[in-house]
Amino acid sequence: MKGSSLRRAALIGYAGAFYAFLYLPILLLVVLSVNDSQVIGLPFQGFTWRWFEEVWATPALVRAILNSTMLGAASAIVATSLALMLAMGFRAEFPGKSLLMKALLLPILIPGIVGGIIYLAFFGVVGVPPGLWPAALVAHVTWVLPFAFLTIFPRLHGFDRSIEEAAMDLGATPWGVFRLVVLPLVRPGLIATAMFAFTLSFDEFIRTLFVVGNDRTVPVQLWTLLSEQMAPFLPAVGVVVMAVSVLVSLAGFVISARADRGRARRSSA
Amino acid sequence: MPHGGPNWQWGETVHVSTSRGDRRFDRRALLVLPGLAWLLAFAVAPLMLLAVMSFWTSSIFGLSRDATLDNYRILTDDSVYARVLLQTLRIALTVTLISLLVSYPIAYFLASLRGSRKSILLLLLFLPFWTSYVVRTFVWLPMLGRNGLVNSVLMQLGIVDAPLDWLLYNEGATHVGLVYVYTLFMTLPIYLSLDRMDPRLAEAASDLGAGPVRAFLRVTLPLSLPGVFSGCIMVFLLACGAYVTPQLLGGTTGLMFGNVIAAQFTHTNNWALGAALSVVLIAVVFLCLAVFGRRVRLDDVFLKG
Repeated sequence: MKGSSLRRAALIGYAGAFYAFLYLPILLLVVLSVNDSQVIGLPFQGFTWRWFEEVWATPALVRAILNSTMLGAASAIVATSLALMLAMGFRAEFPGKSLLMKALLLPILIPGIVGGIIYLAFFGVVGVPPGLWPAALVAHVTWVLPFAFLTIFPRLHGFDRSIEEAAMDLGATPWGVFRLVVLPLVRPGLIATAMFAFTLSFDEFIRTLFVVGNDRTVPVQLWTLLSEQMAPFLPAVGVVVMAVSVLVSLAGFVISARADRGRARRSSA
Repeated sequence: MPHGGPNWQWGETVHVSTSRGDRRFDRRALLVLPGLAWLLAFAVAPLMLLAVMSFWTSSIFGLSRDATLDNYRILTDDSVYARVLLQTLRIALTVTLISLLVSYPIAYFLASLRGSRKSILLLLLFLPFWTSYVVRTFVWLPMLGRNGLVNSVLMQLGIVDAPLDWLLYNEGATHVGLVYVYTLFMTLPIYLSLDRMDPRLAEAASDLGAGPVRAFLRVTLPLSLPGVFSGCIMVFLLACGAYVTPQLLGGTTGLMFGNVIAAQFTHTNNWALGAALSVVLIAVVFLCLAVFGRRVRLDDVFLKG
């Protein structure tokens, strides 16, 4: 058994190296965001909050955070609603269903860079000016929709149809069945999907860069700063972006895990 | 964790049977219409416009809409575009192979764990990917730069006397960045396929006298191939469409096709050529999917959290 414990030790050592590879750059970013130095880099010259203060004191950055938040919320609401309707419709049989299922994935399969310039060309010819509304919103909802659908579909697919039929037999209207039976059952899944959609939109860059014009979102603003000069507060901007997306994702993850546990309990009872 | 839905595959119909077995049109199907309309208007239509635009001509007077094959001819005549396309496919391929080598052991390790340790390590695997890839790419500038972490460690250890300049702004940096940004898309499907495997199969192999290497090669590895396949396709496709990483880390030698496409729209203002180059990239991607895509398990690749 000596060989197997040796293999085990090697695997654990490798795992340590892998997680270091994942987290070292992030740790470095956090360290640099509080480094009291005009140059982005080491050595560490002492602790300061001033780069974060500078982030809050820069109107363009605050506006970018607001833009990203509004765009993320709007994209999440539109994409989750469309995804919910799609998932409900997909429970019925209809011609062309499998084709539509594949077509839904189109926005994910288009290469990132093409997914960006395609709207520059499209809106340019159609005559939609660059900006958040509707140009960036359209690009974001299209990008987020397949993910939202893939998240919500298994949840609707997995639930017991007989509850709805019972409500129908007791005289509920289709809208009543949706509001009183379906919605309460899928609500945790819906919230998780919406949060997932929000983070996808909040982090989106390549499909935003070419259509957003001067209403920059945070990643686009970060990109602009990166290509102009290496401002010393850039690591602090990165940390803010990271904190928002990780916190929202974590919340969505917890809600969705709790919903799954609840569902498992119900079905085992 | 992220899975739990029906395991449907690319190219396969999902059968959702109605409990009433009638053949009459189910009106609930009408609920797909808003999503379908959105898809047609904002995914299919722009794609078709792009295809049409690739036959137009750009000039200082704007776009001329007379159909011509000139843009595609430039691609074959001017070796620069063909060279960058080949370089992109080569980079995407090596990034895929490196990701596979980096990810397989960690996926194997995670699948062998149980209980809360497994949940925590899986969560730690996801966490970095829950943030914008602009940030995740940007972190490599202070990692590899002149006064970056790698250089300061090397100098502290006395391995080098002066900071190394060749760590950044070349093909190598592009590789590092792409592997870092996309490695989850490789780890996750491999992990899921290993995790689904019945551990008794490997035990049975060793009970029957196979050594650990042989049991791995003959039992575990073949059973994990669907995940390997999904991961490779995903990473390859993502790397083919990369723009941010080569732009930020690649300097002039590490540029990829995505940067060339973007330049047609932002610098040289040759939209028609940019459209043609995009069509070529889409064709490459869909060719890969047509050949290999049937075996990709989409639920393995796309579901997060």
